Amino acid sequence: MAKRRGTDGSLLTSLPWTIGALVFALAPHLPYLSIWITLVFMACAAWRYLIEKRRMALPPMAVRAILAVSCFVGVLSTYGDISGVGPGSALLTVMAAMKLLETRKRRDQFVLLFISIFLVMSTVLREQYLWSLPYLIAAVALIMTAWLRMSATRQETARDSFHTSKRLLLYAAPLALAMWIFFPRISTPFWGVPIDTSMATSGISNTLSPGDISELSLSDAVAFRVDFKSPIPEARDLYWRGLVLTHFTGRTWSGREQPGHAPGSRDTIEVDGEPVSYRITIEPTRQPYVFALDIPFQWSLPNAAMGLQQQITRAHPIDQRIAYDAISYPRYSVQRDMSRTAKNWYSKLPAERNPRTRELALDMFAQAGSEQAFIDAVLRKFNQEEYFYTLRPPALGNNSVDRFLFDTKQGFCEHYASAFAVMMRAAGIPARIVLGYQGGELNPLGDYMIVRQSDAHAWTEVWLENRGWVRVDPTSAVAPQRIEAGMRGSLRDGSANSWGLTSPAEWLHSLGLSWDAINAKWNAWVLGYGPENQDRFMQFLGIDNPDWQNKVFTLIGVGIALILGISLLLALRYRAPRPDPAQALYLQFEKKTGLERATGETPNGFAIRAQRESPLDDDTITDITEAYLAARYGSPDPNALSQLESRVNSLP
Amino acid sequence: MSSIPWPFPKPSRGLRDVARQRVRRWAKKRQGLDPLTTQLRPGRVYILPTGVGLIFGLMCFAMLLGSMNYNNNLSFVLTFILSGLGFVSMHQCQRNLVDLELSFAGVEPVFAGQVAQFRVAVSNHSKTARHGIMLYVDGTVSEICDLAPGDSQVLTLPITTTERGYVSLQRFGIQTVFPFELFRSWAWLHMDLKGLVYPKPANHPPEPPPTHTDQGHRQHDARGEEDFAGLRKFNPGDSPRHVAWKAFARSNQLLSKQFAGADTSSQWFDFDTVPASDLETRLSILTRWITDTDRTRADYGLRVPGVEYPPSHGDAHRRTCLETLALFGKDTDHG
Repeated sequence: MAKRRGTDGSLLTSLPWTIGALVFALAPHLPYLSIWITLVFMACAAWRYLIEKRRMALPPMAVRAILAVSCFVGVLSTYGDISGVGPGSALLTVMAAMKLLETRKRRDQFVLLFISIFLVMSTVLREQYLWSLPYLIAAVALIMTAWLRMSATRQETARDSFHTSKRLLLYAAPLALAMWIFFPRISTPFWGVPIDTSMATSGISNTLSPGDISELSLSDAVAFRVDFKSPIPEARDLYWRGLVLTHFTGRTWSGREQPGHAPGSRDTIEVDGEPVSYRITIEPTRQPYVFALDIPFQWSLPNAAMGLQQQITRAHPIDQRIAYDAISYPRYSVQRDMSRTAKNWYSKLPAERNPRTRELALDMFAQAGSEQAFIDAVLRKFNQEEYFYTLRPPALGNNSVDRFLFDTKQGFCEHYASAFAVMMRAAGIPARIVLGYQGGELNPLGDYMIVRQSDAHAWTEVWLENRGWVRVDPTSAVAPQRIEAGMRGSLRDGSANSWGLTSPAEWLHSLGLSWDAINAKWNAWVLGYGPENQDRFMQFLGIDNPDWQNKVFTLIGVGIALILGISLLLALRYRAPRPDPAQALYLQFEKKTGLERATGETPNGFAIRAQRESPLDDDTITDITEAYLAARYGSPDPNALSQLESRVNSLP
Repeated sequence: MSSIPWPFPKPSRGLRDVARQRVRRWAKKRQGLDPLTTQLRPGRVYILPTGVGLIFGLMCFAMLLGSMNYNNNLSFVLTFILSGLGFVSMHQCQRNLVDLELSFAGVEPVFAGQVAQFRVAVSNHSKTARHGIMLYVDGTVSEICDLAPGDSQVLTLPITTTERGYVSLQRFGIQTVFPFELFRSWAWLHMDLKGLVYPKPANHPPEPPPTHTDQGHRQHDARGEEDFAGLRKFNPGDSPRHVAWKAFARSNQLLSKQFAGADTSSQWFDFDTVPASDLETRLSILTRWITDTDRTRADYGLRVPGVEYPPSHGDAHRRTCLETLALFGKDTDHG
C-alpha cells in the first residue's frame, strides 16, 4: 500500500474561513443538537485544522468509513427519524464533520459551504426572531468570504475577500428585496412536512378534563395579537372563540359533530348592532382552530370554514405565524330553532356519573321554575357560597363534578364551566363548553392588543327558547375581576401601586411591552408578509388586479431594471479608456503597409521606412502620417480626425 | 476545470468536438483577426455557468420550493439573497474581463520537442482591480494573476513543439471564474502568433568536419580560451560583443576585436556532406554541430542548398543559421 501523502498546507488560507462559516452556521442549532454531535463536529474541525497546520496525512479511508457509519447510526438512534429540522440539522452537522476529514483539495470545500448554507436555512425554518435577519445576512457574508478565500490568489488578503463579498452583497440586496416583495406567495403548502418549532405552546387543548391537571401554566407567551380597526369592545365582550366541546364522559369534555347533519351545513346566525373589524396575527399552534371574537361573521383565511357550533377550523394546522382579517358582531343570536333530537343530544349526560350534581340540579330547577331563573340561581350559588377561584386546585376523582361542587369548591374557569354545563344538562337545558381566550392586554405603544396563553379561558353556552345559544360565563360569578380586568389584573395585587411609584415589575412590564411592540411590527411586516399583504402592497403601487401573473410580470420587469442598473454600475466601474480613434485609424494604415512598426519607432521614422519598403506610394504615406500627427498631437481640431479618416479609408 | 462533476451525461465526444469546432469557427468569423494589441470589448466576452454554478442554481431552486412550502419569509430572504448574488456574480464575472488589453510580448525560439513560451501582456487600464485572470489554450493554462488598477502582467502560455518550422498559436483564450466560480467567462483571441522552432539537435551526432585554418587542419582549442590578438575593420555579421566600443568612441570607426584561436579557424558545415541520408536527420545533426560549436565561440560557416553563411560566430550568426535550418524546405510565408 502506498504511503499516505501529507497535506501540503495549501488550504491554510481558506480552511479556517470555511470552518468559521460552518461554526457560525451551526451556532443557533447548538441548543437543539445532542451534545455528542457538537463534540464530534468540533473534534473533527480541530483535527482537520491540525492536519493542515502540521502537514500530516488525512485519516485513512477505513477510519473515515467507520466514523461515518457510526455517526449516521448515532443520529438515527438519537432522533429515531431523519426528517424534520432537528434530525436534518444533526445529519448536516455530521456530514460536515465527515467531509472535513476528507477535504484534500481546495475545491472540496464547496461541499462544506453548501452544507453551511443549508444549516442557515434550517435555522430560519426553525425560528424567526428579530435577530434572525441580521444573523442571516452576517452568515451569508461570512460564507461568501470563505467562498472567495477558496479561489483567492496569493496576493489577495482575507480583507480583500471580505470587501468583495460585502460589495457583491450590496449589489445583490436590491434584487433580493425586489424578489422578496414581488415573488407571488401562496397560502397552502405543497406538502406537509412537520417542522418541530419550539414555539408551538398553545394553552388550548382539544379536550377538557377538569381535575386532571392540577396546575394551569401561566405562560406569558403570546397567543395572538389583535389590531382593531373599529373601536375596541369592552373587556367583558372580549371572548375569543376557539373550539366547542359538546360531549361529556363524566370526566372529559370533547368536541363532537352533532349526528345526522349534512357536512358543511351551518346554523342560522342573526347579527345585530355595530360590527367589530380587526386583524389577528396568530402564533403557530399546530392546531387547526382559528380564533376570532364572538361571534365571527367574516374572516380572510383560505381553507378555513365555520362548522356547526360556530367553530372555525382550517383544513391544515397553523404551523407558522399567520395573519387574517375578521369581522365579528358582539350582538347575535344563533340557531333559534332547535329540533327535539338536537336538544336531547345537547343535554346528554352519562348515566351513573356525578349523581349528586344531577340531583341538586333537578331540585334547583324545580324550585326556580324557569330556565332563566335556574341559571341565575346556579350563578348565585357559585357567587355566594364558598367557591374560590384558584389556579392550583386540588385533583378531582372520577365523579369530578360532584367532588368539585360539594367537596373541594376550588377551581378555575374549566371547573366552573364544566360544573355549570353539567348542571344545565341535568335539568334538560342544552349546554356546551367553548374554549378560547378571554380579554387581552392593550399595548399602548403599538396600539394593539396582546392575547397571551395565560388568557386561555373556558365558558359555557346554553340554548334558550327564542334566544338561541346564550353565553354564560360562570367564572365571572366567582371572580368577576378575571373577566373585567383580564388575567393579569386578577392576579396582580395592588400593593406596589400604593407607594405611588412605578414598581420594578411595572417598569419591566412596560419594557416588555415596547419589545413586544417592535416584535409585532416585525411579525406583521416581515414574517407575516403573505398573499394579503402582498396584494395590498401591489394595490398601493397602483396594480389593481394583483393576481400571481401580474406579480410575476412586475417581478420580471423590476428584476430586469435592477439587473440592468447593476450591469451599468459595473460597466462604469470597470471601464477603461478606449484607444484613441486616431491611433485606431493609424493602426489600420500600418496594417495596409504590410509592415510592422517596431517598438519605439516614431511615425516619421516608420513613414521613411514605409516609403522604401511598402507598395503604397510615398505621398499617401506622408499625408497620412501628417494627418495622424495633427489629429493625435496637434492642437484640438475636429477636422484633423475626419481628414485622417477619409485618407485611411481611401487606401486600396 | 471542475472537480465537482457535470451532473448530466456528457454528449458523445465526436458530437462535442463538432459543436466546439462550429462555435470556434463562428467566433473567429465574427471577430476576425485580432491585432497584436487588442482590447477586449464586451461583445466578445462570453459567459456560461460552471458545474458549481449549476449546482448552486439547483440549490437556490430547492430552497425556493422549501420557502414556498413553509411560507417562511426569512428563508425567502436567504433564497433571494443567494440568487441575487448569483445574478450579480454573473455580471461581475463578465466585467472582470471586459476592457482588459492583451498584447503579444514575444516568444523565444526553441528546439523541436521543447516548450515554446508564448508571452502575452495583460494590462488593466481601468480604475478597478481584476482578479483571477488566466490565459489558456486547449489543455494548458497559464499562471493565474490579479491586476491592480493600471497594472500589467506578462502571462506565459506553454506550447509543446513537435517539429521544426513555425509553431503557431492561432487562438488562445483568456478566462476568469471570479468571484464565486459560479460562472466562467472567457474571450477568444485570434492574433495568429508564430514562434520559431529550430530542428531538434541530434543526440549522437557524427564528428563535425575538421576545422580549416590558414596553416592547414588544426583542431580548435578545446578549452575555448581566446587571447586578444588585435583589431580589424568591422564586418556585418560580427558579434556586437566583439565590437571595440572604446575604440569607436575615440575614432568613430567600428572595429572588431580579434581573438587568437578564433580568427584563424573556419569550420564549414555543409548540408550536402552531412553523413546521413534523411533530410530531418541532416538538419538535426547540423543543429547540434552549430550549438556545440557556438558554445566554444569558434567561427563556423553554414552551407545549405541555396544559402551560404560565411564563417562567423555570435548570437546573431547562430540565430540566422538555426532559422535557416528551421525553415529549410518549408513555405516561408512569414513576414
